[in-house]
Amino acid sequence: MSEEIKNQEIDTDAILEVRNLRKCFPLKKTVTGKVTQELIAVDNVSFKLKAGETLGIVGESGCGKTTLGRTILKLHEATGGKIFFEGKDITDYNSKQMRDIRTKMQIIFQDPYSSLPPRSTVGGILSEPVEVHNIVPKEQVKDYVLDLMTKCGLRDYYYERYPHEFSGGQRQRSCIARALSVKPKLVICDEPVSALDVSIQAQIINLLKQLQNELNLTYVFISHDLSVVKFISDKIGVMYLGSMVEFGSKEDIFSNPLHPYTKALFSAIPHPDPDVKMNRIILKGDIPSPANSPKGCRFHTRCPHATDKCREVTPEYKDYGNGHCAACHLLG
Amino acid sequence: MSKNSNHLSGKEVRAIAKENKRVIKSLEAYKNRKADESEYLGHMSDQNNILEIDNLHTYFFTEQGVVKAVNGVSFNIPKNTTVGVVGESGCGKSVTSMSVMRLIQGPAGQIYSGSIRFNAKEKNGESKVYDIAKMPIRDIHKIRGNQISMIFQEPMTSLNPVFTIGQQLDEVSFIHDPNATKESAKAKSIEMLELVGIAMPERVYNAFPHELSGGMRQRVMISMALASNPRLIIADEPTTALDVTIQAQILDLLRDLKTKIDGSIMLITHDLGVIAEMADYVVVMYAGRVIERGPVKEIFHNPLHPYTIGLQKSKPTLDSDSDTLFNIPGNVPNPVNMPNYCYFRERCSQCTKKCSGDYPDMVEVTPNHFVACHLYGGEDK
Repeated sequence: MSEEIKNQEIDTDAILEVRNLRKCFPLKKTVTGKVTQELIAVDNVSFKLKAGETLGIVGESGCGKTTLGRTILKLHEATGGKIFFEGKDITDYNSKQMRDIRTKMQIIFQDPYSSLPPRSTVGGILSEPVEVHNIVPKEQVKDYVLDLMTKCGLRDYYYERYPHEFSGGQRQRSCIARALSVKPKLVICDEPVSALDVSIQAQIINLLKQLQNELNLTYVFISHDLSVVKFISDKIGVMYLGSMVEFGSKEDIFSNPLHPYTKALFSAIPHPDPDVKMNRIILKGDIPSPANSPKGCRFHTRCPHATDKCREVTPEYKDYGNGHCAACHLLG
Repeated sequence: MSKNSNHLSGKEVRAIAKENKRVIKSLEAYKNRKADESEYLGHMSDQNNILEIDNLHTYFFTEQGVVKAVNGVSFNIPKNTTVGVVGESGCGKSVTSMSVMRLIQGPAGQIYSGSIRFNAKEKNGESKVYDIAKMPIRDIHKIRGNQISMIFQEPMTSLNPVFTIGQQLDEVSFIHDPNATKESAKAKSIEMLELVGIAMPERVYNAFPHELSGGMRQRVMISMALASNPRLIIADEPTTALDVTIQAQILDLLRDLKTKIDGSIMLITHDLGVIAEMADYVVVMYAGRVIERGPVKEIFHNPLHPYTIGLQKSKPTLDSDSDTLFNIPGNVPNPVNMPNYCYFRERCSQCTKKCSGDYPDMVEVTPNHFVACHLYGGEDK
């Protein structure tokens, strides 16, 4: 697959394209600095995303979904593979070149309690990126920020307030406003709602959807909650231990999941209806450590259908029609 | 909302501190007193209940004023059932469970009034009803960790990192069983580890907590809770810190265990899916009060309180295909200086004139299904 993709032309429709992306963290080094053991956080991930679409990335903790998001933004340097943003290869950009692109790609972090600076006001937090990147002329900054705050559902008198005076939902709104203040095209949402209560979650998800329609944003939405991902995404990628095990449109993934892990993940979600008795696939055991991931198919230690082939050979990531890709030997 | 609604003058702060000191002093003295057993024995209103919480008030005396974290909560836990307590963060669900265990952190946190009646079974088969809220803290070990045990939310932080799993599990036997020997305690611990589905109990027995994964640690916590043969297990968000596939394993285990141990479970969670799957009876809490309680089918198919309805609609499900999610506007109110009208008034879409009046009483709409809302049962009272 890798050769085939490498030789393809760069797709100009796609705002973001990732090819064979790999990220390793060194665990042990010798005295001379040679890496003897490494943790493969993201391994061979490829996908394409069109402008205005939302890609949902699901997976359990430690599967590399956050690392993937951060590597796309080049907050981590990629170990291998290519990242194309708006048709340009940004993989080897230095920090000076990245500075121009930073305004176009933004991130919303998981925990709104720790991602806002406690010593500046919301007005200050939102004005700073606008001033640094010269988004609007200096005299219009305040109006621009106030307008942005209204858009994100924050009242204008919050301008002078500090983050500790806000509830979780309001803080997450401020984080969203901060990300949008530089007029980005791509926003990586790293578990934006998992620290919030259910009733507040719904508000934030609706806000994200509404802003996407207004501003034609592209989202990469990282979450462990499948029902939230289903609600917001157009395309879904399922990750397990650093690699993408299944990728496809929302309809395909939900109506016809191919990979046994995706099936198990779906059946594990508790259903909020006492009459529905799920025919549950309960996976045995725990997720193996990514520092010491199993040979062959990484899922074989927990897979109910594992064969000898799965224990030896790494399955190929293939397209099963309509852009619905999966990596499993059982699919032939 | 005025700009300085949270601001207190120095004079006010001093007055609050003085008043707090006075109240805390008398409550602490009551907690630390020596008392005869007869003082805190009571009667159950229904012998089939294992726990009856009656008009419980647990307050936190802070510098900003009194936070009424639990403000008049009443519900029962019948024998051999799972009661699910659901609500958002800060609604008092954890404080309720901590009050039952008498683990409220003093001196700021105090059980102010109300009673928690527990139907205890002594070793000789005799049954006694203790009022936990009135028990002096020195006698609480008769019940805590013995007849009632608790599974905490964070399996990562609730195990002691410097002792092996075996040492921590054996301790339960040593404390609650005077005849325990080293060998019998170890045998019991290994039996418990097997019961919760740990594959190599001998190896885990000698392991330290950091050597285990999150799901394994939660299994160890559950086995520790089971080691004393409790009649009631309080599970405070037992799966919130775990991944979905591990959550499915743990829920499966809890369901399985309930039939094995012949006890009741009080399950605290914010996830309606978990409640629907596990509970027989549901208690919905909001801002320190119970707003609705009833059998699980009633709550999910015929929710009455606007908050319960909103909560269910705002959760995206796998089979819904709508474009926007229903959302409840606004936030949970500030816990200091709660108003005396319905706490949900500001966020409610069906609010009427009556809602500005007193806090609504609990009314029984259908058998066993209670709701505290002015929309129901106002006229026929």
